[in-house]
Amino acid sequence: MSGGAERRLPGHYLKAREMYSLPGLVEYRPVARYLFSAGQAQSRFLDGLKEGRILGKRCPRCGRVYVPPRSYCEYCMAPTSDWVELPGTGEVHTAVVSYISTFRERMEKPEIVAVIKLDAPGYTEGGYEFAGLFHKLCNIEPEDVMSGRAIGMRVKPRWRPPEERKGDVNDIECFEPIES
Amino acid sequence: MRPNIHVKSKVAVVGAGLTLFRRRMLETPRELAWEAASMALESAGLTLKDIDCVVIGTAPDAFDGVHLNGEYLADGAGGINRPTVRVYVGGGTGVFVPIAAWWHVASGLCRTVLAVAEEKMSPGHPHPQGVFAYIWDPVLERPLGPNLIWIFALEMRRYMHKCGARKEDIALVSVKNKANALGHPAAQAAARITVEDVLNSEVLVWPVNRLDISPVSDGAAALVLASENEARRITDSPVWVEGVGFTLDNTHWYNRELGYPRYVQYAARMAYKMAGIERPWREIDVAEPYDPFDYKELHHIEGLMLARPCEAPKLLKEGHFNRDGDLPTSPSGGLLGVGNPIAAAGVMKVAELFWQLRYEAGARQVKKPVHRGVAQAWGDLMQAGTVIVLGN
Amino acid sequence: MSWWKENVASRIRHYPGKMEVEKYVYTPGVHGLEQAKALKEGKILGAKCGDTIYVPPLTLCPDHKPGELVEVRGPWRVVTYTIIAETMDGRRLEKPEVIAVVKPDDAEGGLIHRVEADQVYIGMEVEPVFKPEAERKGTIDDILYFKPK
Repeated sequence: MSGGAERRLPGHYLKAREMYSLPGLVEYRPVARYLFSAGQAQSRFLDGLKEGRILGKRCPRCGRVYVPPRSYCEYCMAPTSDWVELPGTGEVHTAVVSYISTFRERMEKPEIVAVIKLDAPGYTEGGYEFAGLFHKLCNIEPEDVMSGRAIGMRVKPRWRPPEERKGDVNDIECFEPIES
Repeated sequence: MRPNIHVKSKVAVVGAGLTLFRRRMLETPRELAWEAASMALESAGLTLKDIDCVVIGTAPDAFDGVHLNGEYLADGAGGINRPTVRVYVGGGTGVFVPIAAWWHVASGLCRTVLAVAEEKMSPGHPHPQGVFAYIWDPVLERPLGPNLIWIFALEMRRYMHKCGARKEDIALVSVKNKANALGHPAAQAAARITVEDVLNSEVLVWPVNRLDISPVSDGAAALVLASENEARRITDSPVWVEGVGFTLDNTHWYNRELGYPRYVQYAARMAYKMAGIERPWREIDVAEPYDPFDYKELHHIEGLMLARPCEAPKLLKEGHFNRDGDLPTSPSGGLLGVGNPIAAAGVMKVAELFWQLRYEAGARQVKKPVHRGVAQAWGDLMQAGTVIVLGN
Repeated sequence: MSWWKENVASRIRHYPGKMEVEKYVYTPGVHGLEQAKALKEGKILGAKCGDTIYVPPLTLCPDHKPGELVEVRGPWRVVTYTIIAETMDGRRLEKPEVIAVVKPDDAEGGLIHRVEADQVYIGMEVEPVFKPEAERKGTIDDILYFKPK
């Protein structure tokens, strides 16, 4: 046999209309609600956000600084005992322009999303891993992302007013360029 | 294989089977698994009675909408009343299935293994995107309202920045793979398109356009693996598993350099070491790197050390990775051309190497003589690498 | 080292989430499509594998091949049953429901379904009650319940 590479393969394709009119079609609406615990280290990190501070944890053995913080160093398998406060400034590692929502609907105003490599004084990382956050950028144009000007740009967090902070990642409204 | 690892038996792939890959299919997931498994058995000239163990691969249960999906698929995959196991590392599952089958045989536990991967992406409504939302961290990522494509776009942008690659350089992968798939009987998205078509398709999350992405698919794929003694009895042209490798990084994807897939490199080093390969860029004749997005193929070619970091876009433009090039990549048409039923897509890539190394790929056969091939898959939050090296 | 004591946050924060899938749509499959058509006609099918008929029709016979679909006629009997006193969210039912495994004498396996009867016992002979033909969709709830014969 020619390895099956040439033969007609099994399977029945359905057009959407055909599928919805099939006898025996079963539709089911899942109802699953969850409550996720942020855990020890992240809860403290979120408390910090509420106070307008970005906290990380340092591994006493290898010196890595973790943001978001973890209770353990995944390389040394040691508990990370020291809390460190970061200045919050950093540089854009990568950034993109999103035209679609979570459910793939078209958005009127595109969002700029980025990975921010945070300044972590005293942390001599190997260049591959770093302390960083995933967040949105503001005060920046889509053209800056497309031209590449945004990458490597120095940024700082724009905090929500203290009374609006809830202790979640959105207490930082976004990261914005540091005026030079 | 090098004697740096102790195995009870060498392992060969002796059969492969596929279903059509399509947007939605009438078949239930277990029927898809059965169709692919039956075809793989038939191509090896075996029946289920000849099979000792079964390995099943399928991505999150939430796609098929069936919990215990491995157990659910067991009868279709031929796993009833046999040692049966389901393996899962996200998108990396496809190549992890033959890797798991390999250790079942190499350890001496089983002489023959039926390895089956299935995915049905069509049950989740309104779009499987909603299911993908569950891969994000519930505390630090989901409150930002992310879309799955964000993470790929961020990685692609970083790769472009680091390597000076332009969107039109990357779009060539989509053009190549969709054209390669024209000869593939399972193909869902085979087409002759141009770089302009990719650039003019809908921008979803810049720099990702619609034609940069593989389609959503239903489908299944299966392989039969056997010990050396069994393989020589079954066929005159077994395809040997010469090396396997797999690694997992953490889920903190935004705490690492996105321009280079270290986890793929580590998995590749493990597989090459086992296969006795020192210069993969010269010793590998054909490759099936994982290509759910077009930039991913280039990213993975570099992780597999088939090109130096940032060199892949240049080699691509020179035709190095074409079907008649020096190192053809995704001659099947890949996920971009054939389709992406997640776990099944990885097994489809290994099946393609099996056919290429037996010179049975028909119109898709690469031009150069082939002795060794590598297939790879990637999974989850930029963290899982699975690699397999086959030789004839 | 008692790091968990050292690190105690002011309080552990929790975040709500829900399954973001609006609904799942399950196709009946090649085999199931025949069963669905039969249910619409008020028939229950089994799969004939050699000399044995399986109900519900197995997708695959023990020899890993699809069996021949044949109608099963019964008589059906209760194999085992349970009495449901509460709903899934813990509300007390006014009238307890009987859920049973019922099996036709001419087949193996059995269906799980409701039984409407004042009294139920193992071995009790029952028969299916179908919805009116116009309301049937080819799914298992085209059978409303089984009742004593």
